[in-house]
Amino acid sequence: MVSLPIPAPLPLPIARPSGKDDRFSRALFIQSLVAVATVILVAAPLAPVLWQSLIDRPLYEVGGLFTAENYVRLLSDAGFYKVVWNSLLLAFETTVVACVLGVAFAIFLERTNLPGRRALRAVVLWPMYISHLVIAFSWFVMYGPSGYITLLSEHWFGGALWNLYTIPGMAVVAGTGAAPLVYLFCASSAKAADATLEDAGRMMGAGSLRVIWSISIPLMRPAIIYSSLLIFIGSLEMLSVPLVFGRPVGLEFFTTFLYSRGLGGITPDYGLLGAAAAMLLVIISVLLAIQGLLLRNAGRFVTVKGKAQRRKLADLGPARWPLFVLFLIYNIVILGIPLVGIVTRSVTTFLTPLMAPLDLLTTDNFTLLFAYPAYVRSMTNSLVIATLGGAIATAFVAMVTLVVHRSEFRWRKQLEYVALYPRAVPGIVAGIGLFWAMMLLPGVDLLYGTIWILILAFTMRSIPTAFGAISPAMLQIGRELDQSARSCGADWWKTSRTIVLPLLKPAIFGAYVLLFLSFLKEYSSAVFLFTPGSEIIGTTMLSFWANGDTGPVAALSVIQLVITALFVFVARLLLRGHHDV
Amino acid sequence: MSELIVENLAKHFGEVRAIDGISFTVAEGEFLTLLGPSGCGKSTTLFAIAGLDTPTAGVIRVGGRTFFDGGQGILVPPEKRNCGLVFQSYALWPHMTVMDNLAFPLRIRKVSAADRKRRITTALELVEMGEYIQRFPHELSGGQQQRVALARTLVFEPALLLLDEPLSNLDAKLRIKARNWLKELQQQLGITTIYVTHDQIEALALSDRIAVMNKGSIVQLASPQEIYTRPSGAFVADFIGSSNFLRGRMKQRNSDGDAEVILESGLLVRTIWAPDVKEGTEVLVAVRPEHIRLTAAQPIANGANLLTGCITARSYLGARYQYTIDAAGTSIMVETEDSLDQPEVYASFDPEHAVVVLP
Repeated sequence: MVSLPIPAPLPLPIARPSGKDDRFSRALFIQSLVAVATVILVAAPLAPVLWQSLIDRPLYEVGGLFTAENYVRLLSDAGFYKVVWNSLLLAFETTVVACVLGVAFAIFLERTNLPGRRALRAVVLWPMYISHLVIAFSWFVMYGPSGYITLLSEHWFGGALWNLYTIPGMAVVAGTGAAPLVYLFCASSAKAADATLEDAGRMMGAGSLRVIWSISIPLMRPAIIYSSLLIFIGSLEMLSVPLVFGRPVGLEFFTTFLYSRGLGGITPDYGLLGAAAAMLLVIISVLLAIQGLLLRNAGRFVTVKGKAQRRKLADLGPARWPLFVLFLIYNIVILGIPLVGIVTRSVTTFLTPLMAPLDLLTTDNFTLLFAYPAYVRSMTNSLVIATLGGAIATAFVAMVTLVVHRSEFRWRKQLEYVALYPRAVPGIVAGIGLFWAMMLLPGVDLLYGTIWILILAFTMRSIPTAFGAISPAMLQIGRELDQSARSCGADWWKTSRTIVLPLLKPAIFGAYVLLFLSFLKEYSSAVFLFTPGSEIIGTTMLSFWANGDTGPVAALSVIQLVITALFVFVARLLLRGHHDV
Repeated sequence: MSELIVENLAKHFGEVRAIDGISFTVAEGEFLTLLGPSGCGKSTTLFAIAGLDTPTAGVIRVGGRTFFDGGQGILVPPEKRNCGLVFQSYALWPHMTVMDNLAFPLRIRKVSAADRKRRITTALELVEMGEYIQRFPHELSGGQQQRVALARTLVFEPALLLLDEPLSNLDAKLRIKARNWLKELQQQLGITTIYVTHDQIEALALSDRIAVMNKGSIVQLASPQEIYTRPSGAFVADFIGSSNFLRGRMKQRNSDGDAEVILESGLLVRTIWAPDVKEGTEVLVAVRPEHIRLTAAQPIANGANLLTGCITARSYLGARYQYTIDAAGTSIMVETEDSLDQPEVYASFDPEHAVVVLP
């Protein structure tokens, strides 16, 4: 060992003998700021709803008195029970459809030798990228009462074979759209399951299909429970399908009830609206609590082991090709035909089996969209909200995740609960709540008529999604990496900025992709918040729809689809480049 | 100026006492090892000194600065303690080169670019890693990462060097090399060092003093020689090396600590050290396996203690044999180079190698 001269000791920049001053450090300031902002963001739409449901006059009038009158009126309205029943029935049927399909995808695409499964795995996920509104419109164009395919089938078979203006019909539209989510959860659970559990079953003499039925599916139970409650909640708060398929025949649901009572009358019944919104909130909160309880004892299904395993695929034998064809037909029917339909509708004046679409070709639908500033604005607004708002929301949620998982902040556990609560807040309730908050809170009214109020609402709604995307990556970063930075002299914020956040880059980018897509798709919280000047694609589609202008709706859908496809393509390219870092 | 004082330090998790009121002082330039089985509280103590773990009560002071005082509510955050901590996993930042890893603490201390470069070069040469300055951590072997982690800690001249089992992830040969190298480096720099390990050999080889910990308390705090030859109790005698324990009663003890013990078999054993306990107290005589001689014939009486027994098991360890002897019902382990075939043997050990410990 060579002896080397040791340089003189360095003075520490700040060396306080007492720790008293450190209580008011930069770290605590930033952490408190993030926590307070989260609480305000989550509470802003909720508090006015609960408040309004309990007072006897519109909340902007002074002198409101506490009363249970609103709830009494709501519950004594026989029509309301019908609304609740319809909502629960639709949610239940949608969940069944989505779960059966999702589990079947997971089994056939992950655990059997189905031909072309690699390509099919990607294709079955596509509905996730598409806005519910676009899905609903596309189905309407092809399978609606006067849809192209419906008319064709009437022509061939002499009568309609289906009717989407019914609850089971709507459940098929919503359920096929939600199936990819169930598939995702079950597939990751199927992939993570210990292969030896299935081998053990096979050793006992069970055939491969028998093993799937008695071992693989039960092992997916936590994933099925989790995703089915997610779908159930999702369909309770869904506005698109009930609006497109329920309203024309007078089928009312929670969301359409709020939509029509809130926007329909000249002076909406504030108390009733508040009470209904509050009830929807309570129902969903209870469902989320049940989900938490059910999964608390999920430990006996924990099958994840660290080792990568080669698993055996069940042999479908001669059934593999017919099953492949079935998968193909399924994807064509639920995705291919509606997409072809909406694209065709966007470039024709009319869509009917009686006339060849080529004779009806037109660019009018698109010309119209680019002729009026309000329509152009709705597209630019959507893009700005997705690009900029998505970035702001991602940055904000990254900070929340940092405080929850990587700080000594006293209330970090509670902050996590607050951050995850928006899962229970339906978009339409968030919209009503924020709209009312603008009337009450000083300062918020300045945001009225700007896209910022929409960004606020979308951000609030997306906290759980982004939190879920960033958290696992953050938990994987060893604690000693920040601890070592701390003992080197870096404070919490410096450590977060130079060590933790740079290591999280891929996860943060992934969260941004998710938020961009969901901000682009989001419409339900915007219907109460947008004004001339802050239109977005979704709200413009709804107003065209209300006037029966299917052509521009189709054109806007196509534009949204193109933006989505381009964005996903670019994001994939970028993510691929990131993998070798 | 960097003497470490720890007083009545305690860390409780509800009813569980991870650290149960420990006190010790580490002199300037001293190398102290906290040694104990896993869960004994040694790492918690180290992290409390570093500021990464908040104790329940007690005082931590370094060179006149109070880092923690439970009574007065003083808690200095880790970044203001100027302690260098080397982690078991090295904790090198994977997105930074070796150079950037070392520059990080210097940037925080606002060291000028020129000075920074000089210090980084010096520190890397000190750990013989000068040529790896542009590498990323994943491009280095475990031993090299460990050196860089040490250099990153030394580069900002911390008041205290804290090491959390830094050698445990190295293979056996490299560990011995790194151990010698670390010892030399520490002596050369004269930096006050706290070292945490569960490996008694490392502790004996490196330390000026060793604090043996068990269940949140310090059982013995002394030099390596004293810990080995004068264990304060059965736990230390067995944890450091290994020991045979012969059950008996104290017969007499003189003021030097010499003592005679009557074993359960009635045999008298002389030892050179015993704690000050009353005649008749139940005690254990601790004898290490390598200090017992086995012979076929009765050895000439030379003042050594003598037991008779028969070999019940033997195993070949390469350099030596290990025998299990049954001596009047007590099982004794012996390690010797001699190969013995007959079952009946004489086992003898000198009073210098026998100490009395309390059960």
